Amino acid sequence: MIGNYIIHLAILVSIYIILSVSLNLALGFTGLINLGHIAFFGIGAYTSALLTLKGVPFPIAFILAGLIASMSGFVLANITNKLKGDYLALATLGFSLVVYSIFINWGSVTNGPGGLAAIPRPNIFGLQIVSNTSYLVFALTICILAVLIISKIVRSRYGKLLEAVRDDAIGTEALGKNIYKLKYQSMMISAFFAGIAGSLFAHYISYINPASFYIHDIIVFLTIVIVGGLASIKGSVVAAIIIIVLPELLRFVNIPSYMIGTMQQILYAGILIAILMIRPRGIFGRIDLES
Amino acid sequence: MVFTQLLINGLIGGSIYALIACGFGFIYTTNRFIHFAHGATVTVAAYIFYWMISILAWPFAIVVILTILAASLFGFLMHLLIYMPLKRRNSSSTILLIASIGIMIFFNNLIQLIFGAEVKIIYVFENAKGVNLFGAHITILQITMILTVFAILVGLFLFRRYSKLGKLMQAVADNPELAKTSGINSTNVQHWSFIIGSAMAGVAAILIGLESNIEPIMGITLMVHGFTAAVIGGVTSIIGPIFGGLMIGLIENFGVWFLPASYKAGIVFGLLLFFLLVRPQGIFGINKGTRE
Repeated sequence: MIGNYIIHLAILVSIYIILSVSLNLALGFTGLINLGHIAFFGIGAYTSALLTLKGVPFPIAFILAGLIASMSGFVLANITNKLKGDYLALATLGFSLVVYSIFINWGSVTNGPGGLAAIPRPNIFGLQIVSNTSYLVFALTICILAVLIISKIVRSRYGKLLEAVRDDAIGTEALGKNIYKLKYQSMMISAFFAGIAGSLFAHYISYINPASFYIHDIIVFLTIVIVGGLASIKGSVVAAIIIIVLPELLRFVNIPSYMIGTMQQILYAGILIAILMIRPRGIFGRIDLES
Repeated sequence: MVFTQLLINGLIGGSIYALIACGFGFIYTTNRFIHFAHGATVTVAAYIFYWMISILAWPFAIVVILTILAASLFGFLMHLLIYMPLKRRNSSSTILLIASIGIMIFFNNLIQLIFGAEVKIIYVFENAKGVNLFGAHITILQITMILTVFAILVGLFLFRRYSKLGKLMQAVADNPELAKTSGINSTNVQHWSFIIGSAMAGVAAILIGLESNIEPIMGITLMVHGFTAAVIGGVTSIIGPIFGGLMIGLIENFGVWFLPASYKAGIVFGLLLFFLLVRPQGIFGINKGTRE
């Protein structure tokens, strides 16, 4: 019993590691204050769920979930291209609200507030993943791959360019670099991983509805990235484990189960405010958030 | 017929947005960061209003005054206990924005924990009789609401223009460092901005409670509307947010003529993006670091 529960937590942690490491690429490394990450997560989840329910093989749906999220990232990066700092934050937050309202209103495709049920477990080239243990192996593999790829990107020359955009956009432009391109590419990579995390989530939980992707939940990613520290992959991984596992302790306290979600968000928000007041750089952070 | 009805609905919605935008603008101009948790002030005030009027059943006039005072106090405490310590650490405006999103989500959930997630309806004036005005249906309550909002907004306009504190606010808004060296206590002025701005959120909360329903998650949507109104009108100007609020209310309601009602959020976001990209200082704003 307790074993199943730990496996469940480990799957969730894997998904959240992908989400927060990819958000850190845009937010921490490139300096894009992106609050639209939850929308990419949702787009990935819906894409993958809808395609597999229509009979598309899982591997294709999985990749398309990433690609369509990535394309949304391209669109968002383009329409908000001229915006910086707080205004970018608010515009991307608006984007999340719009995507949420599309999930609700486009009933003929997304089934509206009712959501999508009976999303099948993945079948990878004949290999059917059924048990939670095998799902954990699958999610963990994807998670490790994602972390390795993003670490590789940020350590490369290209990653240094992204950091240059964050630290001194005008200076980078003066060196002949196309900062517009760097920004949308970073957003697209970040959105791609959010999309595949969405797919992992949908096929694990097997039921999604618009409420799973309401902007309230952006608090989880934000808290993880800020607690772990901006521009720190290690920080995001460690913080994802702490932030997802810690509130689970609430389940062992005697509170009604319908209150747990609310209590968790209160806890996340409290941790976020506290870390900003005590140690805004987070555990492993190297840089400060600038506007 | 439909036109007048939509016009009136737009004015009612718009005057609520105008109040929120105006309060937000008050705080923004002197503090220079996006106080997103202004939406939390509205939510908290709306639930205090609900609690006092529907559960404790206190007299309407006393409840109104107490709600506005509570909203002011809430805004003031947020500034004192969370924003001031952050400012003392020289936190950037982005840190303050992220903190304020944290505050917003904290209180949304706290309200949900206390009062439950379901929509609450407040009955104060049971038999609100409607009158016909050029073929549109409007209740006496709605007429009173629109007039009250306009009285408040005119009062605030005069206050910002002619009172001593209003002029101090303008000075701090224009150049905080210069204001400080001229012997103005800018922290004090910022406190007052929070107190007055949050009081307006309190008024908006009462109007929402009387006009429609309240629910814990309403703050975020309201705040996106209020922020958009402030951006459209020009957050640095005094009448800008009022104009922007009315404009959003009207566009939102007339938009429903052409699009399904559920696309309201899309219309507002479209407006926000359009103005951010084309005219970030807003219609009445001055072009001075508005996008920084």
